[in-house]
Amino acid sequence: MKRKLCTLGFLTLALVALTLGSAWAETIRIGLMCPLTGSWASEGQDMKQIVELLAAETNKAGGINGNQVEIVVEDDGGDPRQAALAATRLTTKEISAVIGTYGSSVTEASQNIYAESGILQVATGSTAIRLSEKSLPLFFRTCPRDDEQGTVAAKTLGDLGYGKIAILHDNTSYAKGLADEAKSLLEAAGKTIAFYDALTPGERDYNAILTKLKSAAPDVIFFTGYYPEAGMLLRQKMEMGWNVPMMGGDATNNPDLVKIAGNQAAEGFMFLSPPVPADLDTPEAKAFMDAYKAAYGNAPGSVWAVLAGDAYRVIAEAIAQTKETSSEKLAAYLQKEMKDFSGLTGKISFNEKGDRVGDLYRVYKVDAAGAFVLQP
Amino acid sequence: MEEFFQQLTNGLAVGGIYALIALGYTMVYGVLKLINFAHGDLFTIGAYLGLTLLVSMGLFDKIGPLPAVILLAVMVMILVAIIGAILERVAYRPLRQSPRLSAVVSALGASIFFQNAIMAIYSPKFLVYPHDILPKAAINVLGMDIPIMRIIMFMTSLVLMAALYFFIQKTKIGTAIRAAAIDQGAAKLMGINVDRVIMLVFCIGPALGGAAGLMVGLYYGQINFSMGWMFGLKAFTAAILGGIGNIPGAMVGGLLLGVIEAMGAAYISIAWKDAIAFCVLILILIVRPTGLLGERVAEKV
Repeated sequence: MKRKLCTLGFLTLALVALTLGSAWAETIRIGLMCPLTGSWASEGQDMKQIVELLAAETNKAGGINGNQVEIVVEDDGGDPRQAALAATRLTTKEISAVIGTYGSSVTEASQNIYAESGILQVATGSTAIRLSEKSLPLFFRTCPRDDEQGTVAAKTLGDLGYGKIAILHDNTSYAKGLADEAKSLLEAAGKTIAFYDALTPGERDYNAILTKLKSAAPDVIFFTGYYPEAGMLLRQKMEMGWNVPMMGGDATNNPDLVKIAGNQAAEGFMFLSPPVPADLDTPEAKAFMDAYKAAYGNAPGSVWAVLAGDAYRVIAEAIAQTKETSSEKLAAYLQKEMKDFSGLTGKISFNEKGDRVGDLYRVYKVDAAGAFVLQP
Repeated sequence: MEEFFQQLTNGLAVGGIYALIALGYTMVYGVLKLINFAHGDLFTIGAYLGLTLLVSMGLFDKIGPLPAVILLAVMVMILVAIIGAILERVAYRPLRQSPRLSAVVSALGASIFFQNAIMAIYSPKFLVYPHDILPKAAINVLGMDIPIMRIIMFMTSLVLMAALYFFIQKTKIGTAIRAAAIDQGAAKLMGINVDRVIMLVFCIGPALGGAAGLMVGLYYGQINFSMGWMFGLKAFTAAILGGIGNIPGAMVGGLLLGVIEAMGAAYISIAWKDAIAFCVLILILIVRPTGLLGERVAEKV
C-alpha cells in the first residue's frame, strides 16, 4: 500500500514538473515584491493591481514576442526580514526579473539576494542614495534619488528668478541632505544664500525664526523639512504680515499642510514632488489611467505605485527588444540602449548606476481653495 | 533695534506659556518634593479637551468669541483639575510614605500612560483647531505689528499667575498650602488637613497647565499627542531656572527662558537655540545653585 502511494506520488510530481516545464518554455515570469501587508499595505496593493493590469493588457495584445507573461507576487510586508525571505522564495521561481520594492531599507535587504542569484531588480519607491552606490550591475530603479530633488530645487528656484534665497531645514538627515545639496548648487549658480539654518521640529512657535528670516530679506524661503512645521511657518508668517513666497521639498506634500496653515496662509505655497497620477500627461499615462479606472473603479493612490507600472514596462520593453530573458542582457539593454522610453511617469532612461535620469520632480502650488495644482 | 523688540515680544509670548506650565511643576515640588513628570501630558490633555469641547458644543457660533473662550477655559480647567486630582489619588498618594524614587517612577509611568491614552483616543495624527474663530488683527506698537491674540494670551497668563500669587499669599487656604510646604508634620498638628491641601495643589497646577494647553491650541492651532514632552521639558527647566518650589521664580524663569531662546535664535544660531538656553541654565545654576529666586524667599510653596 505504502509503495503504491509512493509510486503515485512520484508520478504526480513528474506530471506536475512536466506541465510546469512546458509552461516555462512559453511563459515569461516576472517577479513582483511588494508590501501587501503591514503599514504600507495600501501602496503594495496598488503596486500589485497596476502590474497585474499591465501584464493582462500585454497578454491580451499577444504577449511579448508571442510569449505570455506571468506575474509572480511575493509579500515583503514592508519589513526587511520578511523581504529577505520573499526575495529568497522568488529566486527559486525561475523569474527573468523582479519588480520592487517600496521602502529603501526593505529593498536594501533584498538587493544582495537578487544580485547573487543574477536576477535583474527594478525598485520602485526606494529613493535612498546608497542603494545604487553599491556597484550592483543588475539593480535599477524607476524612482528619483534623494539628491535628484536638490538639483531640481536649485533649478526651479533659479528659473523662478529668485536671486536671494533663504534655506531652512530641520536637522533630520533627509532635510539637511536636501538643504546642503540645494545650497551648494545654488551657490555654484551664483545665487546668494541669505540665510541657512535649522529649526527644531515639534515646536509650536516659530516667530523668533521668522523674525530673523525677515531681517535677512530673502526673495524666497526654501524649507526642506516636513509638513507640520511647514504649515506652522506659513501660518505664523501670514500673522506677521510678511508675504514672502515659500517653497518646500516633497516631505511637505500632504493635505494636512493646508489644514494646519489654513487656506489663506497656504495659498501660493509651492512644493516639489513627483507628479500625482492624475497629473501625468503622456498618452501612455492617460491610457493607463483610463484602464485603471475601468478595472478598479478609482484612480491609483500615489505616484510610487505607478512607478511599479513603469518598472514592469521597462522590463517588458527590454525583453521585447532583446528577445532575451537573461538578466545580464536585459540589464545591458536598460543601461545602454534604452533612451527616453515613454513611461507612465514621463521619459525613462537609466545611467550607469541604474538610477533613472531626467527630472521626475514637478512643482506644485497651493491654490485659494487649498488644492495642490501642478505647475506647467 | 526694531528686530530686538520684535524678538523680545516673541520670547515673552512663548515664555508666558512656559511660566504657566512651570507653576504646576513648582507647586507640586514645593509641597511634595516630587517632580510631577505627568504635568506636560496634563497640558496636552487640556489642548485636546479644549478642541473636543469647542467642536462638539459649537460655542463660538452661539455666544461669540470672548464669552466662548472664557467658558471654554473654565470648563477645560475644571476637567483637567479633576484629572490632576485623580492622578494624585491613584499614582502618588499610595506612595506618600515610600522612598521618593518610587514616586518619580510612578510619575514617569503616569506620563507614558497619558500620552498613549491620548494617542489611542484621538489618533497619532496632528489635529487642528478650527481657523478663523479668533480675531487675526494686529496692532502697531513702536513700528512693530503684534497680533492682538498674542497680547491677550500674554495678559491672560499674567492674570492667572497674579491670581495664583494672591491666592497663595493672602487667603487662608493659601496659608495652609504654604504651611504644608514648610513642614507637613507641623501643619498637621496645627489642624491643617494636609491630604486635602495636596489634593488642592494637584487641582490648581494641572488647571493652569490645562489652560496653557488650551491657549496653545487656540493660538497655534496644531496639536498632537506628544506636544507635552517639549513644553513640559522647557517648563521644568524654567521652574529650575527661577528656583523650583518658588512661585514668582517659576514666572520669572518661564519668561526669562522664552526671551533667552528668542535672543539666542536671533543673534547666535537658530539650530543652537536650545543648547544656548541650557548653557545659560547651567551658568545660572553654577552661580546660584537654588535658581534665581531660590533663596530670596525663605518659604517655598
